[in-house]
Amino acid sequence: MVNAGFYLKRFYTIVRGEVLVLPSRIIVALFFIILLGLPLVSQNPYLIRVVILTSIFAILAASWDLLSGFTGQMNFGHALFFGVGAYTSALLNIHLQISPWGGVPLGAVAAVLAGLIVGIPCLRLKGTYLALTTMAFPIILMGIVFALPDLTGGELGISGLRRLSNSLLGNYYIHVVAMLTLCTIMWKITDSHTGIIFHAIREDELAVRASGINTTRYKLLAFCLSGLFAGLSGGLYAHYMRIAGPSTLEVSMSFSVVIWAVFGGLATIYGPVAAVFILFPLLEFVRFWPEYRALIFAVIVLIILLYMPEGLIHWVRDKIEKECPRCKIRNVATRNTCRICTAALD
Amino acid sequence: MKRVTFGWSFFVTVCLVIFISVPVWGRTIKIGVIGPMNFVQGKGHWNGAIMAADEINAKGGVQVGKEKMKIELVKSDSNEFLSMTDATNAIERLITSDKVDFIVGGFRTESVLAMQDIAMDNKKIFIGCGAAHPEICLRVAKDYNRYKYFFRGTPFHSGYLVRTSFAHMGFVGAILKKELNIPKVKVAIVAEKAVWADPMVEAAQGVIPKMGMDVVGVWRPSDKATDVTAELAAIQKAEPHMIFTMFSASVGITFSRQAGELKIPAIQVGINVEAQKDGFWEATKGMGNYVFTMNTYARGVEVNELTKPFVDTYIKRFGEVPTYTADTYSAILHGLVPNIEAVGSLDADKIVARMENEESNVPSGRIKYEKDAQGRPTHDLTWGPGYLTSLGVQWQDGKLVAVWPNKWVAAPGAPEVTYKGMVPVKIPPWMKK
Repeated sequence: MVNAGFYLKRFYTIVRGEVLVLPSRIIVALFFIILLGLPLVSQNPYLIRVVILTSIFAILAASWDLLSGFTGQMNFGHALFFGVGAYTSALLNIHLQISPWGGVPLGAVAAVLAGLIVGIPCLRLKGTYLALTTMAFPIILMGIVFALPDLTGGELGISGLRRLSNSLLGNYYIHVVAMLTLCTIMWKITDSHTGIIFHAIREDELAVRASGINTTRYKLLAFCLSGLFAGLSGGLYAHYMRIAGPSTLEVSMSFSVVIWAVFGGLATIYGPVAAVFILFPLLEFVRFWPEYRALIFAVIVLIILLYMPEGLIHWVRDKIEKECPRCKIRNVATRNTCRICTAALD
Repeated sequence: MKRVTFGWSFFVTVCLVIFISVPVWGRTIKIGVIGPMNFVQGKGHWNGAIMAADEINAKGGVQVGKEKMKIELVKSDSNEFLSMTDATNAIERLITSDKVDFIVGGFRTESVLAMQDIAMDNKKIFIGCGAAHPEICLRVAKDYNRYKYFFRGTPFHSGYLVRTSFAHMGFVGAILKKELNIPKVKVAIVAEKAVWADPMVEAAQGVIPKMGMDVVGVWRPSDKATDVTAELAAIQKAEPHMIFTMFSASVGITFSRQAGELKIPAIQVGINVEAQKDGFWEATKGMGNYVFTMNTYARGVEVNELTKPFVDTYIKRFGEVPTYTADTYSAILHGLVPNIEAVGSLDADKIVARMENEESNVPSGRIKYEKDAQGRPTHDLTWGPGYLTSLGVQWQDGKLVAVWPNKWVAAPGAPEVTYKGMVPVKIPPWMKK
């Protein structure tokens, strides 16, 4: 009892001292609480479905940010990792009867291999050339899918897959917890020593090499890590939809990911996640006006990017928080002095 | 006094709101119409469904046991050409938020497979009106208890589409032989570069020689090609009498227009989706004359007594000949409603049990659900004389007229089939020189 009281008090102190001091942290905490508590308020299958798919795409968008946002390796063919994860998991499930719990991680491993296959020949390319080359890979894979219909199901895809859980709530918590966990891992990676090197490669690769760091190895690592998370999202998608089809490899899938990431804000991880949680449900919300759904979506994205060129989340964060010019610690925008070093904030 | 006036006003307002809110007819039968609503296929789904609903409601609704219920349609854009995810969200919304009783529509096979699973999870009868792949109905045979709520409404499956195209080729080949006195008809196969056409090209290469004709070559232009003169020059050099086409996209217009301009001495027969549309003549500036394609409906043709009223009303209301996705009309009016009335309830299991054994006339022919070789129900459509055959239509001097089936004998000993309103096929005059 005393122990419980001690831990509760400690938890309260951490929450008060670390979470409640910054609006962005409060928003993240609320995001976790709302997502985990949503089924207590509503178990509408449509709402649950939208949140599950949003979670899957949030992992995908964050994985693109890990590669392109952080290291600057512009990948316009991210659907490749998603499709490889989806197809591998589906093939293992249908042909080898491997449970989705085994198939999804194995699909992710296959996507890591795809990351290597794409990464190695693309190491010498940069900017537009890299973007166009990566765009070709999912198209090549789609050609292979159509060329081997007996194995891949051709245009029909592989259907009849098992879901990770047979219950609505089971599926909800698996996907939402997976999203929260995987995105936190990605965020921690970018906050680590490796993440700093990713950042540095994007800013000045020559300077990083001059510092004695093997940038080739780190760029390959970024491709593999991005492939791993995108492959996981692909496997989750295939099993949730119960079908892995050519649509997972379509160019539109690759571009959706880019739009989400740019909309939310590059090199943040949480930016693309927030963008998916805004844009994907928004598309569902505007179903009442089907003729103009795509137009409304495009106008909103254009307006945001016109007035918030660094992305929505960067803009919002800059409005509600200020960075201390001396110690670089973030403070709530209403403060006049830094909460750590008491330096003047204006 | 003021308080009494306010109280009465409030009471009257509440009564009015309740009166307006509660429908006079009580419970309605909600039917979800799902399709790519921004495309011609989805528009067909919706147009057919509203025609059926209006017709049923004008007669007082559907007799369900002792209750008369009106039809209420719920439109849902699946956006399935662009996003399969959108399609599955749309059907989930129809079932769980809009609480529809039945669903009609669907087009792209990959999306229909995913949507089918959601409808089956919820035990909702889903009549597919667009996807032609056999796999969708094979699922019914393989796992009847789960997939029995799915029925194919239109078109008959792709295997039968191929057989019909070959029947058209044989029909025109015989006419060419007779009119032009050709000992052996030569055929050029021209198919757009698309996955759906690949097995058809392969099948055509195997079947055409067995039909007593020669294949002079295979050409695969892009499905969105804006210039096919190179292919046409090569085709002209190969001297075919017939060009077997497989076009679903805009290349159908390009090919027909340029072939007409060059007066290639060969008749085009096969599938050309653009040629099924009323705007084809204008789009090809009249150069698409004599193009022959498969179609479901045509002006002035009567497959049975239901065809003409349906086609005429559709043209009057929407200004064009119905496409096959407009068969949501038949799915609702001739599929769902008679079976609901017969069982006297909206119970999906009871309706399925009756519907799968019933035969019914629809504007495009007669519907009978098939069983596979092992006798398992597939809920797929029966093709052939007396059932569904589709039509062969040809552009003749600005008019799209029906030319097939005209004295068609499907197999030795089978009855001859000719629908009312058929006209003879016309051979391009430049072929006779």
